[in-house]
Amino acid sequence: MACLALQPAGATPCIGRQPVGVRSGIPMAMRRPGFGLLVLAGLLGVLSRPAAAQTESTYTHPEERRLALGGDVGIFIAPPDQRTFFNYTTYDLDGLRMAQVQLYGEWHLHERLSLVGELRTENASTLDASALYLRWRPSMHSRLAFQAGRIPPVIGAFARRAYSRDNAVLGMPLAYQYLTSLRPDALPAVTADLLKMRGRGWQPSYPIGSLDLRPGVPLVAGSRWDTGVEGSWTSRWLDLSAAVTQGAPSVPVVRESNHDLMWSGRAATHLPGGVSVGLSGARAGWLADSVLDVTADGRQTPHTQALIGADTEFGVGRWLVRAEWLHSRFDLPIVNDPVRVRELTAQAGFIEGRYRFHPRMQIGVRADRLAFGRLTDATTGVSATWDANVTRLEVAFGLRLSRTLEVRAGWQENRRDSERGKRRGLPIAGLLYWF
Amino acid sequence: MMRPSPIAIVVALVVSIVGIGRAAQGPLGGGTVRGRVSVPEAVDVAPRPSVSGFTSGTHLAVDRRRVVVFLESTPVLTAYPKTPGRARMDQRDEQFAPRLLAITTGSTVEFPNNDTTFHNVFSLSRTRTFDLGRYPPGRNGAIRFDRPGIVPVFCDIHSHMSAYILVFDHPFFVVSDTSGRYAIRDIPAGTYGLGVWSELGQARSRRITIAADTAIEADFDVDRDTR
Repeated sequence: MACLALQPAGATPCIGRQPVGVRSGIPMAMRRPGFGLLVLAGLLGVLSRPAAAQTESTYTHPEERRLALGGDVGIFIAPPDQRTFFNYTTYDLDGLRMAQVQLYGEWHLHERLSLVGELRTENASTLDASALYLRWRPSMHSRLAFQAGRIPPVIGAFARRAYSRDNAVLGMPLAYQYLTSLRPDALPAVTADLLKMRGRGWQPSYPIGSLDLRPGVPLVAGSRWDTGVEGSWTSRWLDLSAAVTQGAPSVPVVRESNHDLMWSGRAATHLPGGVSVGLSGARAGWLADSVLDVTADGRQTPHTQALIGADTEFGVGRWLVRAEWLHSRFDLPIVNDPVRVRELTAQAGFIEGRYRFHPRMQIGVRADRLAFGRLTDATTGVSATWDANVTRLEVAFGLRLSRTLEVRAGWQENRRDSERGKRRGLPIAGLLYWF
Repeated sequence: MMRPSPIAIVVALVVSIVGIGRAAQGPLGGGTVRGRVSVPEAVDVAPRPSVSGFTSGTHLAVDRRRVVVFLESTPVLTAYPKTPGRARMDQRDEQFAPRLLAITTGSTVEFPNNDTTFHNVFSLSRTRTFDLGRYPPGRNGAIRFDRPGIVPVFCDIHSHMSAYILVFDHPFFVVSDTSGRYAIRDIPAGTYGLGVWSELGQARSRRITIAADTAIEADFDVDRDTR
């Protein structure tokens, strides 16, 4: 057995006796495909061959066809929250009580064309192709790229780094997760119907449209992606993205539910000193045709979601600080209301920080606020925010057991300006693994 | 406690001075071992697919053919004087360069960021745990390695970036060229274990006997790692 060093008791292990430190950190693509990868390949339905064996060189060149694979596993544990539902997601499950597996792959069909996909399962109850699109670069030397299919959102910054290990804490920001009382397939008949649903976003119901029990929508769906086409140009100092998709920021779709397209864009600049600043916006029809058809003006009824956002990141040394602000306006037809169409506004903002005080240890904090515009019921004279404002503070301590395995534990405190589930503190824990 | 006699002290000093002088000159008439290491054909280190961005597409192939050939530690070798120095592991095109570095204990490795993006070099190795934090292009970070062992190095921002630093407590090691050729010179006469480290697999170490002013050949085949 070859040893690098003289071996006193407990000293540096020999090569061959040190599998943990070395192998646990080797990127997956360096290893031979294991069972998990074979399963993924099968799931993707991709018939591919591994990189061809080389004769002269022992490494492949990027222009060769190649399948790159990876995955994230997150197990999140928290007490049941079936009274206040603060962390329920568009998937109609508690985001802090689930086992999530994401498997993703990029198959290079050509040096400039690849097929990118992600399979996601949550609590093993569903299997969703949460991303599936073609990525095309007009030139290998160009910074321009296009994506078509079920693509990542352009709006804001959080949704594009939604993998668990990129999160400073364990929960998601309110703007991307918290379910408002709005539904794309059901409408209130009068303003009072809407105000009755304040703080009931996990299961709002309205008399017009679908009577099914379904969750409301967040301002931006962070866990579901839309379908369409995106173009992006990146440089050292500037990133520009624009997309045309079928859904809306709050209602991403695979199959179109209305006759509108969403136009969205983002511009971000990377400043010296580790600061980046982004501005984004989107405009789309968010209500389904099925419910628009029952309004007096049918599909001509205003039903736009307009959204603007700003995001920033500062990361230097052991610090990583991020902040985002989003302002959304929903046009909501209220069939029997004198105003007919209400403009509902909402603002969300969070600031989060992560400090790594040891190579293995970090602490993350996020302060988060979601506030809604006021609405007056012309009939009763009652004035209130159209949904209950929410405030969240979360702290999480993280310990890296290895490069690819991390455990986190912390506390999430939620407050809502409503009598329905006003306050909830949750101890939370998570196990994050990626490969 | 017994005090050493003045004569013993003088004798010890003379022996030490002579010894240090010889050591500084290197072994008189030291031997050489050289040869070639054949490594298995390897697939490239493909970056993890970037589903949520555009970061992939210009990935440069990673050369993983180099190996480290070294004498296994013995009391004779570890007592041999080392000259800790400064080495450099660059960050360029989202890769570490060189990907494989071998140093002696007490050496310092610099990690300059010569890329166009931030990097965050770290290792969770038991040999040397460190985290340089995020730093921009044009900045540098340095780490001193005092214990022998293997130190896998990564970037916390770019998961496809990886490299290895092998730290030895003696100076008798070498990193091969890309064709696997190596030569370790000025080895004091004696019998040693000769080992090979490759990220691609393992090679059985062998016993070699070095005689003064001679060179011996030792070739290796690295078998794909089955651990």
